[in-house]
Amino acid sequence: MPENSKGIEVAEILPDKCIGCQICVAECPVGAIEMSNGVALIDPEVCIGCGECFEVCPVEAIKFEKKGRAKKMRKPEEVSEGALAGYQGVAVFIESVNGHGATVSWELVGKAKELAEKLNTRVIGFLLGHEVNDIAREAIAYGCDDVHVIDDPFLKTYLSKPYGKALTDLCKKVKPEICLIGATPVGRDLAGIVATNLETGLTADCTGLDIEEGKNLLLMTRPTFGGNIMATIFCEHHRPQMSTVRPRVFKTPEKNTARTGNTYHNGFEPPDAKLPELIDFIKDVAAGDGVDITRFPALVVAGKGACDLETMPLLEELAGLIGGLVACSRPVVEAGLMPYERQVGQTGKTVAPKLYLGIGVSGAVQHLVGMQGSEKIIAVNADPKAPIFNVADVGIIGDYKKVVPLLIEQLKKTIQRN
Amino acid sequence: MQENYDVVIVGAGPAGISTACLLAEKGIKTIVIERGEYPGAKNISGGVLYGHDLAAIIPDFTKKNCPIERNIIESRLWFLAQTGGYSLSFRDRAFHEKQAFNAFTVGRARFDRWFAEQAKEKGVLVVCSTVVTDLLRDSNKRVIGVTTDRPQGDLKAKVVVLADGINSPLAAKTGFRPEPKPSHIALAVKEVIELPEEIINERFNTETEHGVTIEIIGEITRGMDGIAVIYTNKNSLSLCIGANLSDFMESKVKPYEMLEEFKQHPMVGPFIKDGRAKEYMAHWIAEGGYETIPQLYGDGYLIAGDSGMLFNALHREGSNMAMTSGRFAAETIVEALAKDDFSRKTLAGYVSRLQNSYVIKDLKKYRRFNAFRLQHHELFTTLPRLGTFAAQEMLTVDGVPKKEKQKAIWKKVRKEISLFSMIRLLWKGWRSVK
Amino acid sequence: MHFICCIKQVPDTSKVKIDPETNTLIRSGVESIANPYDMVALEAALTLKDTYGGIVTVLSMGPPQAEQVLREAVSLGADEAILLSDRAFAGADTLATSYALTKAIEKLAQKTPVDIVCCGKQAIDGDTAQVGPGIATRLGYTQFTYVTEIKEIDTINARITVKRKVEGGSEIIRGPLPAVLTVELELAKPRRASLPRLIHSLKSEVSLWNAAAIHGDNQKLGLKGSPTWVKKIFSPPLKEGGPRFDAREKPRQAVEDCLKTLLADETFAFQFLNQWGR
Repeated sequence: MPENSKGIEVAEILPDKCIGCQICVAECPVGAIEMSNGVALIDPEVCIGCGECFEVCPVEAIKFEKKGRAKKMRKPEEVSEGALAGYQGVAVFIESVNGHGATVSWELVGKAKELAEKLNTRVIGFLLGHEVNDIAREAIAYGCDDVHVIDDPFLKTYLSKPYGKALTDLCKKVKPEICLIGATPVGRDLAGIVATNLETGLTADCTGLDIEEGKNLLLMTRPTFGGNIMATIFCEHHRPQMSTVRPRVFKTPEKNTARTGNTYHNGFEPPDAKLPELIDFIKDVAAGDGVDITRFPALVVAGKGACDLETMPLLEELAGLIGGLVACSRPVVEAGLMPYERQVGQTGKTVAPKLYLGIGVSGAVQHLVGMQGSEKIIAVNADPKAPIFNVADVGIIGDYKKVVPLLIEQLKKTIQRN
Repeated sequence: MQENYDVVIVGAGPAGISTACLLAEKGIKTIVIERGEYPGAKNISGGVLYGHDLAAIIPDFTKKNCPIERNIIESRLWFLAQTGGYSLSFRDRAFHEKQAFNAFTVGRARFDRWFAEQAKEKGVLVVCSTVVTDLLRDSNKRVIGVTTDRPQGDLKAKVVVLADGINSPLAAKTGFRPEPKPSHIALAVKEVIELPEEIINERFNTETEHGVTIEIIGEITRGMDGIAVIYTNKNSLSLCIGANLSDFMESKVKPYEMLEEFKQHPMVGPFIKDGRAKEYMAHWIAEGGYETIPQLYGDGYLIAGDSGMLFNALHREGSNMAMTSGRFAAETIVEALAKDDFSRKTLAGYVSRLQNSYVIKDLKKYRRFNAFRLQHHELFTTLPRLGTFAAQEMLTVDGVPKKEKQKAIWKKVRKEISLFSMIRLLWKGWRSVK
Repeated sequence: MHFICCIKQVPDTSKVKIDPETNTLIRSGVESIANPYDMVALEAALTLKDTYGGIVTVLSMGPPQAEQVLREAVSLGADEAILLSDRAFAGADTLATSYALTKAIEKLAQKTPVDIVCCGKQAIDGDTAQVGPGIATRLGYTQFTYVTEIKEIDTINARITVKRKVEGGSEIIRGPLPAVLTVELELAKPRRASLPRLIHSLKSEVSLWNAAAIHGDNQKLGLKGSPTWVKKIFSPPLKEGGPRFDAREKPRQAVEDCLKTLLADETFAFQFLNQWGR
């Protein structure tokens, strides 16, 4: 343990581990910690060796070994637990797309059911829109116990303010302890509004949800720091615990039309503000035909290592053979070879095809989080150390220019034989 | 918003910043233009700096958080063959007492930033991410400013100091310095290997604040005219190996492979064991010496540091010459401003200052050294091999009488190198550095 | 018109590497940069200023070093720069961040009414995309997220028309000012600073505002005002991966072996050979 000139054993930052969250800066009672170049820095002369920073650091980036101090999670906060007890049930915002529930909403209902069982509570659906009775029935079939509906012509199409107000109203009235929203463009637009109105915590783009046993808290896991690491986040003293969840992270539950549940209709007071008006909708043509890579059972994914114009037709042919489509990783989009709509990964789409065939994809974590759910993963890469091999079911080490034509040739044979 | 400056300095390295600091102290309006994102962005860790030259710019640098890695208290010299080699080392208490900070290792990326901060505090403007693409001249061909790659990128000044390093497209473009020949440049690859502080202390037998430099020649450069160095930083080692560019072109050796081989040498391996490679970079070193120094001044401009080929290849001294030439540039400019005369006649004072100092004196002393090395590749092949063979023979205890061993050694030596050529080599070598 | 642009200083996460042996983040040597989305937002604000006139104020919250990104903004054409920096702001999650920024914008609006707040869609370190909507909600401004194009501003009727990304396409939408825009990268390419502006930015002042300056409720700032807590941070577990076949010497054999291994899973082979049942 280093000592300062006053002989106090001081805490030390391990810069390689520090992620710059600044929690220690806020916790330090004497202001001894500053941020320098994205990393916390302790001034040993100011440090009083209290160890507060060590205790709150989520990544163990602080070295502090003073005797008699055990690492604890965080300091307790004065909050009356009674206020939180009034909140019950796991709610899911049911997003409607062209008169149907969005797939991600059903995925969340499935997950909500799991969470609700652990909490011994109900699954609640929040449904906004106009003439959405069919979707309410669908929600029950997928697993909602209660569906709270605001059916109002005002909510026919999505607009931030009315939807924000409507969902806030429902949360205030129904008081769910958890509220899950799909991380779709609509979901992400809406979640921030509602969490701000309710002054509660919101964790974006989660890829994992669980309940902390004993405390009954929602543990929300998400990629952070550019997708390089995972963080587990919780919200102890505010309700509801809100989270947006990426599509295709959880499985769609079985639909059971015989299931019964309650539907409650709620009134709606539109916000008294001038609202935007939709002028036009332009269907995506960037991907040629508005293709949605998440819907294909097989994908050939081009990576940085296969980022050239000549290879693209070969990949198209390969994709045709496996009954799929060509997608890509981020560098290929950046090189202008493919539209953004085809990008797989943290900043692109999350896919979970039955067959993922990566050509020259090295497998940066940002990419892996967007494809790890695939059923079978084949990787072709010249670098034997490429991380993609660690998630691949089968790998081929070699130059894609040689391997791809061989794959095409042999696949053709295999298909003919059968 | 077009502004005029007294002095525009191209390059925020040791030479440019030295000039800038001293000018700003005299209240002279100075601006430095750097092409990197920040000063030192084009450099990596692992360089040796010299206290004497730095103190002439920042006298109290040790009290100003100068990012010193380790104060060098020991220099080693290795002469290596493929399987082993000789080591000669010198250490003296003087280097941690009265001559402390004689030489010290720094991470250049950090040091250059720190050095530029000192200049900024003195009032210098340091503009980064900006490339000087050309010089502005008046009708008499006198330099009156620079053009950069930014919109509205012209900047007028009374004097321009070119301190943009060996790899200066500007010097070549403006014709101030002929494009260096491959034989005047060394291509070096550097790797920084991270190791815990205590391990380095243990392996080099030092305290944390003290460090060691090792300079190495021999078969490690695969017969090319080259040198390798190992520097101790606080919690890393810098390994650098390089050779003359013309030799590289001829031998087709890949620098990176040479580095990998070097790292596996039995003398090197144990030092870097369990270390983690952190940074890797290739760079150029000006080692043409005295003969390649261009005209260092002209109407409205001066050339300082590596851009002026001011580098002592034998002693691996470059940053000190950069700082000192930068200092002389500043002194000369102060004089010129007092006279309000920026003609070549006044600016010639720069070169007389250099000539009266160790800079040109040292470079002159070693002026034949570059050619000598290039002509005598046996320095990097036959000699270390024979040397190691001899030592290995003498030290092997196998019952053979020493006299017979001596005979065998002589026989082998005489077979590979004639007595005459050995004497000639020694004589020429001596002459090249005397 | 008064345009405000919120900029966050972030670690350049694209340069972060993972140590393959320990499976941990290699954090050292990663520079701090201005969030690229925010720089597009700034470009949008500057373009609007060029077209409709007015001033651009840039706003950031962070440690004192974050003034670097504000200076960069000034070099590109921002007129005024304000850095919210105080220990009371440290450890803020998105709720507390949007609160502090909102208080600062309210203060700025007292001096010159605000028409448009431009933010990046998200920051590359956290990727939450929550601060923009948070500010819009608190201020009661019209919210436009995922904006890819600013069509026009109708200054007479105080309306703005933008194109924004939605599921399956884009919409053109017109709404009242003041508004908060969160922008996509494709909206614009940040300009390169001219030399005189760059020099100007090095000499200009960045105003430092602390918690008292924005008259905020201390319970809503920084760590205290943050409902969410990080419980732990971990690297995604390393997986072993399946067999690898080396195609560098015998490519044909490797490809054959690979397909054989793949199709050894009968259920999968059946689905595959039946073209997934289509």
